Amino acid sequence: MSSSSRPPEQPEAPHLDIGELEEAEQALKQELRTTESALGEKTTSKSKSSLATALLAAPGMLWMTFFLIAPVIFIVLVSFWTPKLGGFEEAWTLDNYDRLFNSSTYWNVLKQSVFNSLIVVGATFVIGFPVAYFLSFKVTNLRNQLALFILALAPFWTSALIRAIAWRGPLMGRNGAINEILLQIGIINEPLDILSFSNFSVVLAMIQLYVLFMITPLFFMLAQVDRSSLEASRDLGANWFQSFREVIVPQIMPGVVIGSIFVFVLSMGEFATVRLVGGNTVGSVGTWVRLEWENLLFPQAAASAVILILVMMVGVLVMLRFANLREDL
Amino acid sequence: MKGSDTLREGRWSTRLLAVYFVLFIIFLYGAMIVMTVLSFNGPEGGVTFPLKGTSFRWWEALYNQDLSGSNADRIRAAGLNSLYLGLVTGAVTGLLALTLSMAFKRRFRLDGVVFFLVLLCLMTPGFLLSLGTSFFWQWMNIRPDLWKTALGTNVVWALPFGFLVMIAVWNRYDDQIEEGARDLGASAVRTFREITLPLVWLGVFGTFLFGFTLSWNEYDRTALFLTGGDVTLPIQIFSLTVVSTIRPDLYALGTGTTGVALLAVGVGVVYALIRLRRRGAGVEAETQVAEELGEVTGTDADRGITAGSDR
Repeated sequence: MSSSSRPPEQPEAPHLDIGELEEAEQALKQELRTTESALGEKTTSKSKSSLATALLAAPGMLWMTFFLIAPVIFIVLVSFWTPKLGGFEEAWTLDNYDRLFNSSTYWNVLKQSVFNSLIVVGATFVIGFPVAYFLSFKVTNLRNQLALFILALAPFWTSALIRAIAWRGPLMGRNGAINEILLQIGIINEPLDILSFSNFSVVLAMIQLYVLFMITPLFFMLAQVDRSSLEASRDLGANWFQSFREVIVPQIMPGVVIGSIFVFVLSMGEFATVRLVGGNTVGSVGTWVRLEWENLLFPQAAASAVILILVMMVGVLVMLRFANLREDL
Repeated sequence: MKGSDTLREGRWSTRLLAVYFVLFIIFLYGAMIVMTVLSFNGPEGGVTFPLKGTSFRWWEALYNQDLSGSNADRIRAAGLNSLYLGLVTGAVTGLLALTLSMAFKRRFRLDGVVFFLVLLCLMTPGFLLSLGTSFFWQWMNIRPDLWKTALGTNVVWALPFGFLVMIAVWNRYDDQIEEGARDLGASAVRTFREITLPLVWLGVFGTFLFGFTLSWNEYDRTALFLTGGDVTLPIQIFSLTVVSTIRPDLYALGTGTTGVALLAVGVGVVYALIRLRRRGAGVEAETQVAEELGEVTGTDADRGITAGSDR
């Protein structure tokens, strides 16, 4: 995945043909060229083809450098720079971090973000797994499987912003549909306030927004689970739970990890949903940084963001320990 | 083969899961449905139930500035911005995903870096991206705007999806067909134009659609530098939500933007179906059989070879 040079041999194929032999030959030549260039020699054909490759790679790489790498680097740089009225100047300082480490409010907001994100990861798995399982094991017809999968995936194409607005007002609001229904049935006597502008509603909204990022990798891994090994475990007398734990879980672990990382990172970096669904009562690191940014406290905002990035990286590294993605994929 | 139920858990569990699936779909769509219904609320109606009659008044407020409290002018300006931005984002994403994936396919020294960067595009929270971009451009002393920065960050968001689509396309692509063209004396450019591009065109088109829809809906990645005059539709929607009192015209706007995104996807699906059908039902069936055989033996090499007979 991330190895920088190609392995010299192609994976063994059952029946070799001319094309594959040629491919292997090409691979060997490529290896030779790499070695040659390492030794400081140059061949014309090599420089020509690698020039073409470089030309192909350049636009995308440049774009990502300019609009992805540079911004991330600048968050880190600005966090060490000195604030000045309405901006920053390039004088190194640790004050921005010093201020943060003494702010209990920031740490509370960060704790809340981590806590909420972990809940969302857990909940999206619990809610999403039966859906992925149903689609991959219970729907027998490939066409139905695809249709239902697309049905579950379609909301991805509607704006998260719109979904958050739809979620908070008409559905979860004090006079929203859920309260109306509960009142009509008679379960409650007056509208539940916990449903609107609360941490609970923010978590629910995020679950609804991000559950698809959990279902998709789970579905693809479940669909690839080796059916014959399942049958074998069955024949050996395993009950459903045993074959689930011993056969299915190990095979879908990469999907669980990928989905969890996605959902975790998305919820940690959340800002708009928290602001819209939580109002001013709920905070996340995102809303915190945004507030500092709006007050033109740029280096302070940068420092808050750097801490967030570090926490996210720790979270991702911890999750990666649960599966060997490089080997399993 | 896919669905052979080896676990034999009985029909009741299947039914239970089916019911669960329906509930899940309601959970996903519930808010959108309620929103759509309320956008047709009567002129006296508010943003919650009950409906006070039905009308198109709130939809009309989207384009008729004369209605009291209408934001039609701002919505039109922002909508046009978003439309143009989405189209350009789609085009740029298509181009970059094509070239980048071609380079990746050639396995050069930095392909690991490419893959890492593409993953980073996907994993970087949009909100941090717009924060960093605002710093970077402030440092360069250039005012961020729609075409400089918003285009940049929106492409960064769409690129990983396009790249993954193109990688999937190249995986089913048969290199020998290019060799054939070259053996017959075609130049590299001509081979690309007449052989390669027609075969991978559908993937490039899909990438364009990803770019358009993702840009059309993007808020986080532009939130911190597009302020004031030239804004996109999501930013306009956000400020309408936060600043002013919400009225059902916002629901109409939300329903409308969702409609545009789904329409774009629908057009893409129909186009893809027509293209695929043209390739011939016979070939398709043959490929399908071959694919299933490939799955039985379970080797990637097999799948690559049989998929090659697609054309």
